Amino acid sequence: MADTPMLEIKNLVKVYGRDERRAVDDISFTIEKGAFFGLLGPNGAGKSTTIHCITGIAQPTSGEILVDGVNVVTDYKTARTKVGLSPQEFNVDIFATPEQLMDFMGGYYGIKKEVREKRIEELIERFDLQKHRHMKFQKLSGGLKRRAMLGRALVHTPDLLILDEPTAGVDVEQRHDLWQYLKEMNERGKTIILTSHYLEEIQYLCNEIAIINNGKIVKQGSKEEFMRDGKSVEQTYLEVTKNLRK
Amino acid sequence: MSDNNKTNQEFSDVSNVEALSSFKGVNWVGLYTMFRREVIRTFRVVTQTLVAPVISAALYIFIFGSVIGTRIDDFAGVPYISFVFPGVLMLSIINASFASASSALYFMRFTRGIEEILIAPFSYLEMLIGFVGSAVTRALMVAFLILGVGLLFGAVQLEHPILFVLYVSAVSAIFAMLGIIVALWAEGFEQLQVLNTFVITPLTYLGGIFYSVTFLPELAATLTKLNPFFYFVDGIRSSMIGYSEANTMIGALVTASLVIGLGTLVTQLFRRGWKIRN
Repeated sequence: MADTPMLEIKNLVKVYGRDERRAVDDISFTIEKGAFFGLLGPNGAGKSTTIHCITGIAQPTSGEILVDGVNVVTDYKTARTKVGLSPQEFNVDIFATPEQLMDFMGGYYGIKKEVREKRIEELIERFDLQKHRHMKFQKLSGGLKRRAMLGRALVHTPDLLILDEPTAGVDVEQRHDLWQYLKEMNERGKTIILTSHYLEEIQYLCNEIAIINNGKIVKQGSKEEFMRDGKSVEQTYLEVTKNLRK
Repeated sequence: MSDNNKTNQEFSDVSNVEALSSFKGVNWVGLYTMFRREVIRTFRVVTQTLVAPVISAALYIFIFGSVIGTRIDDFAGVPYISFVFPGVLMLSIINASFASASSALYFMRFTRGIEEILIAPFSYLEMLIGFVGSAVTRALMVAFLILGVGLLFGAVQLEHPILFVLYVSAVSAIFAMLGIIVALWAEGFEQLQVLNTFVITPLTYLGGIFYSVTFLPELAATLTKLNPFFYFVDGIRSSMIGYSEANTMIGALVTASLVIGLGTLVTQLFRRGWKIRN
């Protein structure tokens, strides 16, 4: 019997506001366990809205989302324990410290104190936050903020990790260090969804890619398919989006 | 534990399932974390959250106890300050619970920190309990400190401690839920104060916190009995000094109805994700 996919999205529609703007327009796709999935698209294409529907930040208008076979609307408590999110915006209490952010998030996920403390120590060490663990979030540099956000997203060891622009504002060295960590995590079996405007990042990390535009999936395939005929992912992306603009 | 979880194990010796066992049923650890976070927030701005209300209450107690109270005869068998003290306490509780809930939630909306709660395994009822419980926790901290000040001035009596705890908790919960509604509705910091300025403060002062309804002309006394705040202060007062001016059944009914009604409303607002879920 085939393994349950990590994520199944079936005919997802998300309509916003009185003008009934369709931010996501009947999209369907499946992500298998262990995949590193890149979700590309211009600003306002529907990437973040899709992520918000998966994580519970937004309510789908219609359609179905299953995380590891669990419906995110009807069995949302179970589904949410399986997903970790590092969002594009710093949606944190800016007066809290990185350690507190991980501690509170772990607590919200119901992780007991002794387990939580152990995980936080491991994450602080992994993301090299020892010297900054007690600094207020607002005092941290862009790179340190991103690392704190990643630690927060991983504190409950989610099966599916969603990274929305995780390297925005991060310097080159730190970005490469982060790539290495994400690659290692994926090699150990973690399913990851990544959105990024750095297409070399997508090319380096992802093995499955989809392009979303105007709320619709306009191209989806393996990295090899995106890099056919010696093209880079960026060239394929520009071709697809250029054709759509015509 | 699924095979996938085994391969995902980046932490050495703690399983995901074990760590997350408590979310099944009530998310107790999550609720405790919400309360703990509010206590940390309270102490982060301790001057505003604890010191200011205690100083304000101490001034009321000093003026009504030592300055005015010594010139007024005992009322309802107790010194005037003991009659007024429950109202002073209620005023502080109302302000603390309303401010705690409204500022915490509005700030979370403003910074999008609310998303931490939205993606976590909380039911809508747990969200209600978490936010209200956090605000009630702060109100009880303020109440405890003011009771301490009242004891120093000899203003505190406690005839029915259980009833007192019930009324204080219920009144705190009511104003915490009003705070939540305002925090969800408000589109700016100024709007956070609208309900407090135009509804809560006038109704509190006109609800008999500093005077007996028997001092009022008949029409004013009748109007006062239509003010729910009158029943709140009367409930706390009767639990403290054993003297009541209201029909206690009506008081209990009004208080319980508001707790249930507002609780249902806020839970529904969370379920709909009004102003917090896209």
